[in-house]
Amino acid sequence: MTTPPAALPSNVLQGAGVGASAPSPAPIRSAQKEGNLGTFGVKSGLAQMLKGGVIMDVVNAEQAKIAEDAGACAVMALERVPADIRAEGGVARMSDPKMIKEIVEAVTIPVMAKVRIGHFVEAQILQSIGIDYIDESEVLTPADDEHHINKHNFKVPFVCGARNLGEALRRISEGAAFIRTKGEAGTGNVVEAVRHSRAVNAEIRRASVMNEEELYAFAKDIQAPFHLLKETARLKRLPVVNFAAGGIATPADAALMMQLGCDGVFVGSGIFHSGDPAKRARAIVQAVTHFNNPKKLAEVSEDLGAAMVGLTIDADLKGGHMAKRGW
Amino acid sequence: MHLATDMHGSFGGGDISSILPDEVEVTIGILALQGAFIEHEHALQRLFMAPSFLRQRKGINWKFSTVQVRSTEDLERCSALIIPGGESTTIALLLRLSSLLEPLRAFSATKPIWGTCAGAILLAKEIANPKKGGQEVLGQVSVRIERNGWGSQVESFEAPLEVPKLRNPDEPFTGVFIRAPVILSLLDDKDAPIEEIARIPEDLLPAESCDTNTSKEDRHAQALVALRQGNHFLTTFHPELTEDDRFHEFFVVECVLDYVLKAKGKQRL
Repeated sequence: MTTPPAALPSNVLQGAGVGASAPSPAPIRSAQKEGNLGTFGVKSGLAQMLKGGVIMDVVNAEQAKIAEDAGACAVMALERVPADIRAEGGVARMSDPKMIKEIVEAVTIPVMAKVRIGHFVEAQILQSIGIDYIDESEVLTPADDEHHINKHNFKVPFVCGARNLGEALRRISEGAAFIRTKGEAGTGNVVEAVRHSRAVNAEIRRASVMNEEELYAFAKDIQAPFHLLKETARLKRLPVVNFAAGGIATPADAALMMQLGCDGVFVGSGIFHSGDPAKRARAIVQAVTHFNNPKKLAEVSEDLGAAMVGLTIDADLKGGHMAKRGW
Repeated sequence: MHLATDMHGSFGGGDISSILPDEVEVTIGILALQGAFIEHEHALQRLFMAPSFLRQRKGINWKFSTVQVRSTEDLERCSALIIPGGESTTIALLLRLSSLLEPLRAFSATKPIWGTCAGAILLAKEIANPKKGGQEVLGQVSVRIERNGWGSQVESFEAPLEVPKLRNPDEPFTGVFIRAPVILSLLDDKDAPIEEIARIPEDLLPAESCDTNTSKEDRHAQALVALRQGNHFLTTFHPELTEDDRFHEFFVVECVLDYVLKAKGKQRL
């Protein structure tokens, strides 16, 4: 948590096509309000409210309640946690809307859900059932191997994964209001999340001392839109909230990502594949708040039972390297 | 010391402290357990540096500072506190796990507190739709409040607000409402009147609330998005997400400084 995502200058991030073409639930409301719904300010603003918090993967209403009771600031509804997607294989898709609705009913915190990369119809469906955030996620099997969703077309905000600064800024230019590291989901191994977070930070530090000519060349180099790169260099951080995700399994992992400058963490398989999910979830929530206090971290790390079994990330990794998905 | 001696001489031996304004330190804490606390801290720091912000008021030279509050030791340093937006259930749980709930209850009984969004929910006396299984609150402001009053994130919106009590009252303030709570009704409290600070047009209100028998009076209360009761200030939207620091100025000048002066007066007596 270095500096805050300052309020964004509206000319920087508002894409051309902000009109909502995707269907949305339409209760009666005034024309005045209609025009001010789903602005980039309220999309990135919700991510700002989630900062310093833990977003937990859940596969049913019962897990969602455990997560909420343990202090999750939001839950991610999905059919199978990444570790199971790895183990079982096959095509991983958006979850059954009925299951997502049950989770929305069960908790009062924001509910997120995943869609496949490029699958804008899955996103339209999730928007129509009133989900709070969509994760266009590499954990599911991509539906388009060239294009991501045009996220400006939606009122619901999107979070996307990124391994480096260029990827993060491409996602923001498509309308993502929230970025996370990809890590390597479902491995319980934090090494990739660390690599991605360090890569983004290092590139931002380099950009922050460049003059304009160098920024033009750097933008070309990392395939990032120039105006977003320039804004990032000025802010010395991503212009939207940036969470850690992929492989976080312990309170210490979560605090590590926070000390590396992330604004909060996603925990997937790490919780419900551990020995005592409620206790571990609560410990990780506290670790994210007190990430700079080793004494407190020691206290919350005590006696959590078995952590999820971790996987080594090598060429033979079962289920493949999900972080490579995304273009 | 050298300068002081000279001045001492030039005023004919009088006590210098009687002619220079008193210097008073004011530390404003921001509850930093979860949510958008850094935005509030930066807004305050921006405000304190702004040329338009007078550091000398009421005959006193004010020295301002901010602190992120994560423990009782942090809280003890504060003259006032801001509870930021975030998830009210998460913040309430972390208050308890950090042994801050009782100290904060004691703090809130006397000292100025501003709650934005989740913070407003924590300050309210009644929550209409708490998390299943209940939710701890500070119970300081006499309102009944509904969480996520407009529904899910796709109903989040921005609206220009007319706020006569701010500096430059003719300039509207951009209210950013994110899964915002709705004040359902004002509770009877004869000792502490509620002061209206801002309201939104009634046609922007959600069509339904979780209280079914809504009177005209309640409907009027529901359009309230900023109010004050004694030292407590409550906004259901997020001034910290804008570059406009007038709400922070209002809180500091109207709620905090008066309180600090009164507390100081009591100490002297």
